Amino acid sequence: MKIEIKDLHYTYPAGVEALRGVSLTIDSGEQVAMVGQNGSGKTTLVKHLNGLLQPTSGSVLIGDLDTKKVPVAKLAVHVGYVFQNPDEQLFCRTIHEEVAFGPRNLGFDASKIESLVADALNLVELSSRKETNPYDLSPTWRKMVALASIISMDTSIVILDEPTTGQDAVNVARIAHVVAELRKRGKTVITITHDIDFCAENFERVIALSQGKILLDGPAGSVLGQGEILAQTYVDPPQLTRLGKRLGLKKTVRNQEEFLSALKS
Amino acid sequence: MRERLSFYVKRESFLHNLNPLTKLVLALGLTLIGFLSPWYWTPLAIIFFIIAPLSFVGKVQRDFLNAAFRLILPATGFLFIMQALFQPVGKTELFSIWFLHVTRESLAYAFENATRIFAMVSSFTIFLLTTHPSELMSDLTHRGLPSQFAYVIISTIQIIPQMQAKAQTIIAAQRSRGLDTESSLFKRAGALVPLVSPLVFGSLVEVEERAIAIEARGFTSRHTKTSLREIPDSSFDKALRWILLLLVVAIIAVKIWLS
Repeated sequence: MKIEIKDLHYTYPAGVEALRGVSLTIDSGEQVAMVGQNGSGKTTLVKHLNGLLQPTSGSVLIGDLDTKKVPVAKLAVHVGYVFQNPDEQLFCRTIHEEVAFGPRNLGFDASKIESLVADALNLVELSSRKETNPYDLSPTWRKMVALASIISMDTSIVILDEPTTGQDAVNVARIAHVVAELRKRGKTVITITHDIDFCAENFERVIALSQGKILLDGPAGSVLGQGEILAQTYVDPPQLTRLGKRLGLKKTVRNQEEFLSALKS
Repeated sequence: MRERLSFYVKRESFLHNLNPLTKLVLALGLTLIGFLSPWYWTPLAIIFFIIAPLSFVGKVQRDFLNAAFRLILPATGFLFIMQALFQPVGKTELFSIWFLHVTRESLAYAFENATRIFAMVSSFTIFLLTTHPSELMSDLTHRGLPSQFAYVIISTIQIIPQMQAKAQTIIAAQRSRGLDTESSLFKRAGALVPLVSPLVFGSLVEVEERAIAIEARGFTSRHTKTSLREIPDSSFDKALRWILLLLVVAIIAVKIWLS
């Protein structure tokens, strides 16, 4: 589903103006990373995508649904949102029940729920621990349960709020694998992240926010190449990108392959 | 999301600058006087002539009136109606609804209780609005209160707004998973489990983490602890506390005298 945001402004009840005119279109099936300093408005922006926040002015369209008119529980059919802290969403006694909670809310029939749950657990490599209590897992794995509990809802848009914080390399790779799989299935994935390497390696499009406005928006290669502008929102381009620049490579490189091929040519 | 750690409203006022213990004694004293006084009008007098003006002195009148009208008044109003209906005292029946008899005595009794509770809650509201909990606790521990006890109190004062903020996030997370919290009452009741469990689990985990965090900073150390902030305790504060104590003693004496 296409996401269309038009001149979105949002002011928190306490008076903080978090978004000051964001306009943005995300096509179906795009993989987008949002970067920017703390307080730049990333979370506020994505909370508008499933109606958790309502625009102070401007509009947000998911396909042809206006988030102002459709309740959150209905938007949940289209937009899945994995919160940053898994402990704020997990409550069931077993992982299986937890992952089945979302699809059950959406009113799928039993056999579809089963297959969705099995698939989601398989994707995050938790199939063998179906009957475990989520709170018996380490925080890293609880995060994977939270991820699975949204994937199982089979929404066409998946939002991940800082999926890689506190995760080791193996787990980051696992999350990257999930993102790649979602891409293959034609899902739109929007990720908020401070992990710039994760962003560079897994996302085609990068949006940098600063003080409630879009600072940069474009293909990862071009956005991450603009170190000076990114510095305004306290984002450092990946080490390899910076190294490539120092070496005077003509092309902006994002990962090892690009770096090596640019070096050889 | 803005997290408020307490009810405290930061202002520069005479009331804010009083020693925290003085304000605590004030709230306790007014409550005791309201409850012990033999005259029915005392709680009302306390509310209108002491607490309400104090809210202006402390520059928290808006927050206070907000709490008074939206929280204290409905709660005490409810109490008043319940007691008026169900209190089986007195014989002078005014009117009756089905099996419930409202008598002059039960009405008086309900009125007295409701105003007393109103006075108590509102005096503590003023206290909480103008006193930072950590200031109160560091003052009390300085005066010899065991720090474990201080911890219990301070975490209680802080926990409600913290839980509120947390509950908001949990509600948002579960709504994102298609949980219907907006439509029919039946559905709402069913939505309670997914909302309450993360709140309780999360709080339990937090308790442990907190315990470790404060122990890492020498919470149970037996050495005398110093304080970064000196909390002023003027002679006016001391005088005010004595006056309140005398007033409480006086009201007890009057009560005994009249009975």
